[in-house]
Amino acid sequence: MSSIKQIPVITERKGNPLARVFDEFVRFCRSRSLFILHYCTGCGAIELPPAMTSRFDMERLGIQPMVSPRQADILLITGYVSIKTLKRVILTYEQMGSPKYVIGICSCTVNGGMYWQSYATAKKLDEYMPVDLYIAGCMPRPEAVLAGLQKLMDRIHSGEANSWEDYFRNYDYYLGNQQKLFGENWQTPTDIITEAKHYDLIDEGTFGKHTQLLEQHQKPLEALDMRLGHDLKEPTE
Amino acid sequence: MTLTLLDELLLFSGVTVLVAMLLGRRLPAGWMVTILYGIQLLALMKMAPLGYGGEPISSALTFEVMGQTLSWRFDALSWYFALITLGSALLSSWYACGEWEQRFRQSGGNLWLFHLAMTLNVFSMLILLASGDLLSLFIGWELVSWAGFLLMAMAGGVATKAAMRYITYAMAGAMAIFGGIALVYVSAGSLQYEAILTAASQMSTAHLWMLVILFGAGFGIKMGLMPFHLWQAPAYAETPGPGSAFLGAISSRMGLFAILLVLVKLFGIVNIDSLKIPFTLIDARDLLAWIAVFTIIFPTFTAMKQNDARQLLAWHGIGQGGYMLLGLVVADAMGAAGGLLHVFNHATYQAALFMAVTAVIHRTGTADLNKLGGLVVRMPLTFMVLLVGIIGLAGLPPMNGFVSKWLVYRSLLNEGMPLLFVAAVIGTLGTILSVYKLIHNIFLGQLRIEHDNVKEAPWSMMIPMLILAAIIFITGLLPGIPLAWVASVQQAVGLPVSDYTLGGVESASGSLDMIWVIGVLFAGFGIGALIFYFAGGRSKRVHQLDNYAGGHFLTADVRYQYSDNFYAGLMHLIGGWYRGSFLWLEQSVKSLVEFLSLGMQGLYRRANAEFYLLSTALFVIAWVVI
Amino acid sequence: MAPMELIIELLLMPLVAFVVGMMMVLMMRRIAAKLQRRIGPPFFQPLYDIVKLHSKQTQISHGLIHDIGIVMAMGGYIAAETLLPVPGMTGIAEKGGIITLLYLMMIPSLGLALGVGQCANPNGSIGIARALTAMLAYDIPLVIVIFGVAYAAGTTNLVDIIAVQQAGGFETWGAVQMPVLAIAGLIAMHASLGKQPFEIYIAPAEIATGPMVEMSGKYLGGLFVMQCFQLYTTSVLYVSLFLGGGTTWFDFLLKSFLVLAIPVSIAYLFPRYRTEDLLRLMWKWPVMLGLIGVAFVL
Ligand code: SF4
Repeated sequence: MSSIKQIPVITERKGNPLARVFDEFVRFCRSRSLFILHYCTGCGAIELPPAMTSRFDMERLGIQPMVSPRQADILLITGYVSIKTLKRVILTYEQMGSPKYVIGICSCTVNGGMYWQSYATAKKLDEYMPVDLYIAGCMPRPEAVLAGLQKLMDRIHSGEANSWEDYFRNYDYYLGNQQKLFGENWQTPTDIITEAKHYDLIDEGTFGKHTQLLEQHQKPLEALDMRLGHDLKEPTE
Repeated sequence: MTLTLLDELLLFSGVTVLVAMLLGRRLPAGWMVTILYGIQLLALMKMAPLGYGGEPISSALTFEVMGQTLSWRFDALSWYFALITLGSALLSSWYACGEWEQRFRQSGGNLWLFHLAMTLNVFSMLILLASGDLLSLFIGWELVSWAGFLLMAMAGGVATKAAMRYITYAMAGAMAIFGGIALVYVSAGSLQYEAILTAASQMSTAHLWMLVILFGAGFGIKMGLMPFHLWQAPAYAETPGPGSAFLGAISSRMGLFAILLVLVKLFGIVNIDSLKIPFTLIDARDLLAWIAVFTIIFPTFTAMKQNDARQLLAWHGIGQGGYMLLGLVVADAMGAAGGLLHVFNHATYQAALFMAVTAVIHRTGTADLNKLGGLVVRMPLTFMVLLVGIIGLAGLPPMNGFVSKWLVYRSLLNEGMPLLFVAAVIGTLGTILSVYKLIHNIFLGQLRIEHDNVKEAPWSMMIPMLILAAIIFITGLLPGIPLAWVASVQQAVGLPVSDYTLGGVESASGSLDMIWVIGVLFAGFGIGALIFYFAGGRSKRVHQLDNYAGGHFLTADVRYQYSDNFYAGLMHLIGGWYRGSFLWLEQSVKSLVEFLSLGMQGLYRRANAEFYLLSTALFVIAWVVI
Repeated sequence: MAPMELIIELLLMPLVAFVVGMMMVLMMRRIAAKLQRRIGPPFFQPLYDIVKLHSKQTQISHGLIHDIGIVMAMGGYIAAETLLPVPGMTGIAEKGGIITLLYLMMIPSLGLALGVGQCANPNGSIGIARALTAMLAYDIPLVIVIFGVAYAAGTTNLVDIIAVQQAGGFETWGAVQMPVLAIAGLIAMHASLGKQPFEIYIAPAEIATGPMVEMSGKYLGGLFVMQCFQLYTTSVLYVSLFLGGGTTWFDFLLKSFLVLAIPVSIAYLFPRYRTEDLLRLMWKWPVMLGLIGVAFVL
């Protein structure tokens, strides 16, 4: 959800010019080094190998494939997302480290495409997670994929591609859509709310009735803290 | 008769035994015994000049038995070993006081017997270390064997079986030693060390061979040298926690002490060098070196396959004995120093490791490596001790095990022994694999739900462990401290002395300065930490279930831990090489003895008993006369 | 040596190692690209990657040991570099020697092993189990080779080993004097890089990059830094043992890059071995060559 309040107001940043140069450098590095996680959900995945190999060679743009969500920056959703798959996609997205970007490849991710009437397919990807870029087509050619990636690189460089913050700031909205689809007991092993608190990304939309519902049944997921436990009660035997 | 310092020490040790025996049923017995160990250690400290090249101290007590003088004395060698013995006794006894003791009693253990066995062990070891001639050595040896048996057997059940196995081996070893002593007596006419020293230089080759084999086998059994190693791991592993820490630290080193005394000091390693095995290129010393190397490799790789933490450690204890012997057999200044230093180092980390594992058992009730995991968040200090211990055991910087192993490697390199060198490194690599499995399966990985409320070990157990960890690190940083004692031991047994400094060893062909190495290592860690903590963003601690599982949702009831068959790929290749040949050998010897005894029994029953007696007697007389 | 000078050397040596290491990563990726008829990454790509990973805003940690593992992985190599002489700088190479260096080089991997262990991810643990197995495989030929070189030079001091080789020009290079050992060393070095066909512990398609599976942001960044150090250390060690070290920075770097190019060019032509095949291969050929080489030396 790109709410009206979220439209970035570009203000000329003042302050230490060195810090500005540094920020610019960091953004540049971010845009030039993108690790993709291609979640091969549908037909579109087949277009990625050519994009990576000798014909189109993604690596010259600094883009390379990675294996686990922890390492990746871009989540590529390559085609229709069935409901069962969507659960995994959401978990995968939540496990990625920010700044993270989602690209929906294929028309199916935009509006369900030819699976519009399917009972088992999620129609719009951006109801469940913030999507930075759609590359439409059934299926898009590698050129289109690369063009899309370049577009994303530009947006990262200019600092516009921060939709990942939206997931934290409007978590209630996304969670609500997820709950609608998966039922009220929906919970991933990741804990978005404490993460938002930890990184100070709380906004009005973070909490709401859906997060309340989650908190009612949520199994505790605090990190296991290192402790000596000498103040614990002796376990009764 | 005035009491010398040695008499004082032995007296205190005897008093400790008495206290344990008479007052051992009272509650603070553990503390009393611990304090008495402390007093013994102080008495030993009074003899500290021995460790820096002082004159030997003899006991005022001497006996005449059948024309043989029995005497006791302490020199640098005895002092060094006694220091390790008393140190490990003090710390393991300290460890046993308090909560461990209570738990032990609650679970039906006999605390009185435990303390008594420990004190007896220490007392008998001191007597052995103080022996002034071969006869007193033999007496001490027997005492140590039986005291060890008492400690190993006390847990009952499997432990008794293991202890029976031990005592069978020990008796066989004692027979060999006794035979050796008899042979020495025949040729030297006396059992005094001085007389033997002169006699040794004139012994014939066959004679010397016989002695090397008899003494080597006898003492080697205690050390767990191949192929006599089978008894050790089960026996040590089954002993109650602090007891196994003590036994693992020092007990089998008594064998090394005796080997040093008899084979190195009395017969002289050079004499042994001249013993060629006919038709081969190797001599007795090479043979010993290869035995040492096999003792390193096979038990280490057996350890890797163990699924019980204590068994794993006990098997490593055997393997590490190989390094000590290897260093001594190379017998140049560095090698001998390495071998001797390793005795000290091994005692420190092995005790720490056994204690850490016992602490885990104390809290979780199991040492099964497939039933633990993730305990680092619940027992962080124990984790740290175990980590320090395994770094020492694996012989990596910055802990003390590295220094002694480095010395052994250097000596092998200097002497140009590539195969031994490679074999020693294989042992080290195997150790690294195996100890990683140990620490991973206990402390890393997923924490089981049933261990969520586990607490850190109680302070009464923690403090001795932390002291040991500190010793391991400090003697790794400043190896010069123990190397000074080692140097005087080398002098005492007539080996060349290395040129040691506070931080390591000085040598023209490459020296070692641990102060620099560790300093730079920690500086490196510091820079690494700076980069890590300040050049990156903040990180968030997450629950262990927030984990990559290919998109799968992990829940608390799912075991998401890799522990069984840990080195699957390796075992694919070498798994078939574990044939249990030595077990088979042991079994066949056992069956042979059984068969023979059955046969003899049958003969004896059926035939005319008097006839056999008579013929045996005649045969013996004939043998003696001729 | 003046203490100030020494401190500067101690700081400079890891820094140089890092910069050169980044170029080596670049070279490796460019070679891979060329072999696959691609263009490959731009010149500063390794830097971009490291900066990007360190500038990640959120990342997860599985606990203190996870953090310490990364610190040890970087710090261990930073320390190891000071034991590795380069032209004009010897650091503390005289105080440790080659055996110490060999053991210090294990510290980063073992520190990492601890960190990965705490991630509680079986893929990571399997990766570490395989990595340690691989270490058991390639370290045996490696120590044989090092034994041979050190015995031939009569010292374990790397500075002296280099000096011995530089004494008589090209003829006294280790590779010329002991060609068999040099070949064995090259194979062992290739395996120690963990590149194909010996890449059993990364195995992306099988165990999801093994040790790196739970590494995000600066954690992965630390591992990228470690990779730079690893490439540098391995190739410079080989150059010091067999190619006479370097008299000037130019020939030193030239040799290091060329040496590294050999295993890297081979690597990208192969798929992966299984663990036991790696063991079998390592314990057969390089060990045999190494022992023959040592027999010549003795
Ligand atoms: S858009 Fe076309 S190619 Fe892509 S997933 Fe849908 S049906 Fe398949």
